[in-house]
Amino acid sequence: MLAYKLQSVLVYAFVWGSIYLLISLGFSLICGVLRIFHLGYGVTFVLAAYGTWALMHELHLGLWPAIGLMFVMQIAFALLVFYKGIFQRYLEQEEILLTLSMLVFLAVTHLANYSYPVTAGVSIPTTIIDGTFKIGKVRLSYQMLFAALTGIGVTLVFVWMFLKTRVGLIIRAMSQDIQASRLMGADVSKMYFLAMALSVIPPTICVLMIAPFWSVDPLMGAPLLTTAMLVSILGGLGNLKGSIVASYLIGFIHASISFFYVSRFMGFAALVITLLVMIFKRGGLYPGETIW
Amino acid sequence: MNRKKSGVVVSVVLFFVLACSTGAMAQANAPIKIGFMGNLSAAFSLSAKGAAQMAVDEMNSAGGIAGRPLELIVEDTKGEIPKAVELYKKLVMTDKVTAVVIGEKVEMAVAGMEIGAELFKEFPHIMFSTIGSGDVIWHHVRDNYEKYKFGFQTYYSVSTNYLNIWGPLNAQVFKELAGAKNVALVYEDMEWTKPLRKGLKDVSPPLKEVYAQNGLKVVYETTLSTDQKMFTSVFEEIAAMEADVIDATVGYIDEGALIKQWEQSSARDLPLYIWGGLAGMPPAWKVTEGKCLGVLVGSSMIRVPITEKTIPFMDNLVGKYKVGPIFGSHTTYDTLYGFKKAAENAGGVDNIEGLIKSLENVEEVAVLGTIGWNAKLHYNLPYPKYVTPIVQWQKEGDQGAMKVIFPAEYANAKYMSPAELRK
Repeated sequence: MLAYKLQSVLVYAFVWGSIYLLISLGFSLICGVLRIFHLGYGVTFVLAAYGTWALMHELHLGLWPAIGLMFVMQIAFALLVFYKGIFQRYLEQEEILLTLSMLVFLAVTHLANYSYPVTAGVSIPTTIIDGTFKIGKVRLSYQMLFAALTGIGVTLVFVWMFLKTRVGLIIRAMSQDIQASRLMGADVSKMYFLAMALSVIPPTICVLMIAPFWSVDPLMGAPLLTTAMLVSILGGLGNLKGSIVASYLIGFIHASISFFYVSRFMGFAALVITLLVMIFKRGGLYPGETIW
Repeated sequence: MNRKKSGVVVSVVLFFVLACSTGAMAQANAPIKIGFMGNLSAAFSLSAKGAAQMAVDEMNSAGGIAGRPLELIVEDTKGEIPKAVELYKKLVMTDKVTAVVIGEKVEMAVAGMEIGAELFKEFPHIMFSTIGSGDVIWHHVRDNYEKYKFGFQTYYSVSTNYLNIWGPLNAQVFKELAGAKNVALVYEDMEWTKPLRKGLKDVSPPLKEVYAQNGLKVVYETTLSTDQKMFTSVFEEIAAMEADVIDATVGYIDEGALIKQWEQSSARDLPLYIWGGLAGMPPAWKVTEGKCLGVLVGSSMIRVPITEKTIPFMDNLVGKYKVGPIFGSHTTYDTLYGFKKAAENAGGVDNIEGLIKSLENVEEVAVLGTIGWNAKLHYNLPYPKYVTPIVQWQKEGDQGAMKVIFPAEYANAKYMSPAELRK
């Protein structure tokens, strides 16, 4: 039994950690580049699910066209509502910015609930392969594995972009010193725009990947936002390296508590450990004014 | 007294006699006012409101209660307790309703019951809680009958019934239909499951022991958090403990995720029995993309004629009142019919004390069996009077359908194991 539990912890720490990474990547990006604690981030999850559903059922689009159009809507929403509508106007007035971001999130959640309550039966048919398989003694669903691998894949693309491309270099420079970046000729507005657009990609992919084993409901944004915040805070706000480490650490805590104690305490345990880290290591695991 | 004076006196007396008799006639024909309070942003309250309106409309078409029409006054609490208290006062003191129906969570009913108790002496009335679950309402009546005798609860979620009636029945279903010997118990961490986890003093031991007394061994027991989204570890452990059936005492957790993760776990071939909530509603099939195939659930939303009222109720509620039957709509509708019969037995609604006594003894045909209330404790009469069938999600063409598998007299399908159904 002990061997089975240890194997389970390892497998699920990897799987859940990779999924948490996918959930939190966009949040970390905005924290790192725009230096904003984006309380409206949960909107992305709701829009991804309900946007796809609405396009499929109201416009009778197929799954793939609906997903494509939903991505366009997501990016437009992030740029027009959040960036142009709130961030650009209130960048220096943080309390207004946070309040408005949160209000937008709540408004979209309520709109989703009003338009498609739970009784509407919203679901996103994105199962790639149904069924389960075994790794050693541990059974795992294919869809969870795909979600985990997607999390790793998307993270690698982001890391590669930050390390190997000119755009990534500029974003890193901006995350370290915005004024110096301006003086060096970086088009800060354009990069902010790009960062906002990029930030919606991981959570959108995340919803599509986890929908077959996660619940799709109008209130789904709040727990996912909480996970993103927890990962980012533990990792060090806006630090991608920190987010990666924190995701797997929280995955490990959740899996350990679930298999060795009781699953309902996994959220509490992760919060306590984050709190302890913040007390003894101010700013999280990777504190620092840089995204990488 | 001269003739002129005596003429005036007679005229005055006649005027008063006429005025009084006209007033009495007006009173005799005045509508009986029923207040309905609910959170009109929530699907369950909207459904209950539709059911209440339907009952009132039907009764008015049939001549009302003892010749008096009914008037339904609807108020929106917005799910806020202070608002609910204010509206309760308004309904009782200003609108002077005979009964207040609270079609919302039990916290609202408790708030209503407290303010109702304060008002009762000056404004005698009846209160019905038709959605609120748990034991709080009837505990009030049990602990202080004189103060709270005006309160009645019409909902299935009463722990005494769970432990004394549903526990042994579940054990019977698990053993006889699913051939189970070992059961895994999964609770949600909420107040209503506490008596099931801990037992009720002087009433029943915990559910685990109830199952043991009925020949089932509990091999696994855990409690889930209501905000939990990951259940995989629970199902993997249940499969490792060699349980034969999973008894999920849940109704408020994320059942969509629970069912999806059960179907993608080592426990997928073990029957999953869910006590209530989303799993027992028609959208569950879509929400889980058919992964609920094989799930067993206690549900009142089935198209099986338990009485002559069952099918017309469901059809009319959807067809004419544009709301779906959700938990609480049946109980609200049945409550008003129980009220009608009690009022008729009591000879009207003017004597509230008499009406209370009549409600304590009434029995009326209901959508799900027979409606009536325990004479001392004021919760509605449980199974076999009021029936919540156990259904199983099975396939009907490409779609899923909830098929009744228990009680046998209402069954329209046989139980099949999840593995058989997936073939």
